[in-house]
Amino acid sequence: MIVRPVQVTDLPALLALVRQAGCGLTSLPANEERLFHRLRWAQRTFAEQVERADADYLFVLEDDDQQVVGVSALTGAVGLREPWYSYRVGQTISSSPDLGIERHIPTLFMNNEMTGQSDLRSLFLRPDRRQSHHGRLLSLGRLLVVAEFAHLFGDKIIAELRGSADEKGCSPFWDSVGRHFFKMDFKHANHLSWLGNKAFIAELMPRQPLYACLLTEQAQAVIGKPHAKAEPALKILTAEGFAHKGYIDIFDAGPVIESPVSSIRSVRDSQLLELTIAPPDDQAPMWLIHNRRLENCRITATPARQVGDRLIVDRLTVKRLQLQPGDSVRAVPLRPQQPQAVAA
Amino acid sequence: MLVLRPVVLTDLPQLQRLARESLVGVTSLPDDSECLHDKILDSCTSFEQTVQSPGPESYLFVLEDSATRRLAGCSEILATAGFSEPFYSLRNRHFNSASRELNIEHGVPALSLCHDLGGHTLLRGFHIDPTLVRTAYSELLSRARLLFIAAHAPRFADGVISEIVGFSSDDGHSPFWDALGKHFIDLPYVEAERLCGLESRAFLAELMPQYPIYVPMLPQAAQDCIGRVHPDGQVAFDILEREGFQTNSYVDLFDGGPTLYARTAGIRSIAQSATATVKPGSSIDARGRYLLCNDSLENYRAIVADLDYRAGQPLTLDTEMCAALKVSEGSPIRLIAL
Repeated sequence: MIVRPVQVTDLPALLALVRQAGCGLTSLPANEERLFHRLRWAQRTFAEQVERADADYLFVLEDDDQQVVGVSALTGAVGLREPWYSYRVGQTISSSPDLGIERHIPTLFMNNEMTGQSDLRSLFLRPDRRQSHHGRLLSLGRLLVVAEFAHLFGDKIIAELRGSADEKGCSPFWDSVGRHFFKMDFKHANHLSWLGNKAFIAELMPRQPLYACLLTEQAQAVIGKPHAKAEPALKILTAEGFAHKGYIDIFDAGPVIESPVSSIRSVRDSQLLELTIAPPDDQAPMWLIHNRRLENCRITATPARQVGDRLIVDRLTVKRLQLQPGDSVRAVPLRPQQPQAVAA
Repeated sequence: MLVLRPVVLTDLPQLQRLARESLVGVTSLPDDSECLHDKILDSCTSFEQTVQSPGPESYLFVLEDSATRRLAGCSEILATAGFSEPFYSLRNRHFNSASRELNIEHGVPALSLCHDLGGHTLLRGFHIDPTLVRTAYSELLSRARLLFIAAHAPRFADGVISEIVGFSSDDGHSPFWDALGKHFIDLPYVEAERLCGLESRAFLAELMPQYPIYVPMLPQAAQDCIGRVHPDGQVAFDILEREGFQTNSYVDLFDGGPTLYARTAGIRSIAQSATATVKPGSSIDARGRYLLCNDSLENYRAIVADLDYRAGQPLTLDTEMCAALKVSEGSPIRLIAL
């Protein structure tokens, strides 16, 4: 398995993936023409032909039979071309010592705080490949690219996790908030969002702070709660140091998790090592390895052993990375806090 | 005969009885003898003072049975709402929500805390014996205030408002309060209204939400209370509405009851009341029923009477009327058809 930049020839495979993902993958259009445009744009992004504000890094996960089985994306910056909104969950105090009244009222403040930060998004892995370390490779591979090319990204990396919704795709938060301002259901709004109208939709949302206590109980209950399907992504990113600091999506109240780039485990702990070919031993831990290229970016996960400033891997790995023995790679143990990873 | 007159200190026990009987939302009538005592004193001072322009004065009237001395109701005018403390209300207005690209445009109503109504003259503290609610005496008790304003215009503002008690259930629950105020002031509606009467209303208002409340986000039961009148406040509402008062975009921040507004000069009892001079007489061939008052200040009196009024001619009043109104031959009199 490797993670690599998407190519225009991936269109049919990617379209099939997006259709399979359904409405869980809001940032990729299930429309051939629009998706094609997106792929072209991603290619230009990897070729460094677009500004950071427009950069859209789209990666695919490809198995050894050159089959595309997953997709993930990373933006250069949100909010620089059109406003990027979120709610911050703050609080309002209603207090009167004389009357013995002290109310702490969670309050949602609309903001553009995340402007300029880079966004992890659009991760989807074919269900039949959701085993072993594939999800981790597809998700964390992007972070090695951030580590290698920090100047192309914001100070923080954020991820909007899909918020709680019922089986029909209805969001209790939308029903209590957004619906009143659009007069349309969540699926319709979400569809417009797919079509790239998210900022337009955001402009219809109330600008004034919202007292959470005035929302329906169902809506209050899902504030900052990820969709069950987003739990694995949350778990992976939390282990990397991402945290929920109170920002939520304005449509479905899903958590926007964040981390300063320098605090992300796979960025912070990644090292520049020299590839060496040798048969990996049985206990060798899994490493995430990036070939340090952008346009010809290749990232893989494989058992490896660090010896000094060298990384010992098998021959196939070197081939997958399109490198030669002796080339420099950026690598980090695939899983956090594995003592044996730093042994030797 | 029931006569409306300014309150005096000896009315205190009876005034407290009226306060006890009054609707929960009539916060200007707290069931508290100390508060009421102060109210009476404020009112007495206001009637006695020379006033050039409206200030903090309050004028409290009572409706008294001249035979039994029993008080059957009370009503009040506050010369200037918001003079000594901010006068808060909720303004209900539409926030426009529009996207040209998506071809969506609609208004979303939102309630915002405001002081917009400060500076107006406020009619408040209306309470009448339940047996008299649907009689001419409700008209007298309410509209005698308007005749008083007509007679002493410099003491009052150019606009008059009145907050009508909003809906609450028989067991003392206000759906509007439960959905909004209670989140910010953790007290039952009845207790909050009681505190409003005893303490300062502004004091409680300042604990209320400072950001707009989007109406569609409130439960339907609370939305239904916006501008809804308490059944027992309907008579007071109807009287003022017939006087030309209109509801506008302001509602009470506790119970959502409507606020009525009228331009002073346009109020029916003010614009259309006539003046005449008194001619004592013994028998009256009554042609209509009128509210009439004596245009005095601290000796202000108003009654309901059946009269034979002809514009431009002296008005014949019988002995009892003259006594009730404290007028004699040649005294000026103000009247309006009931």
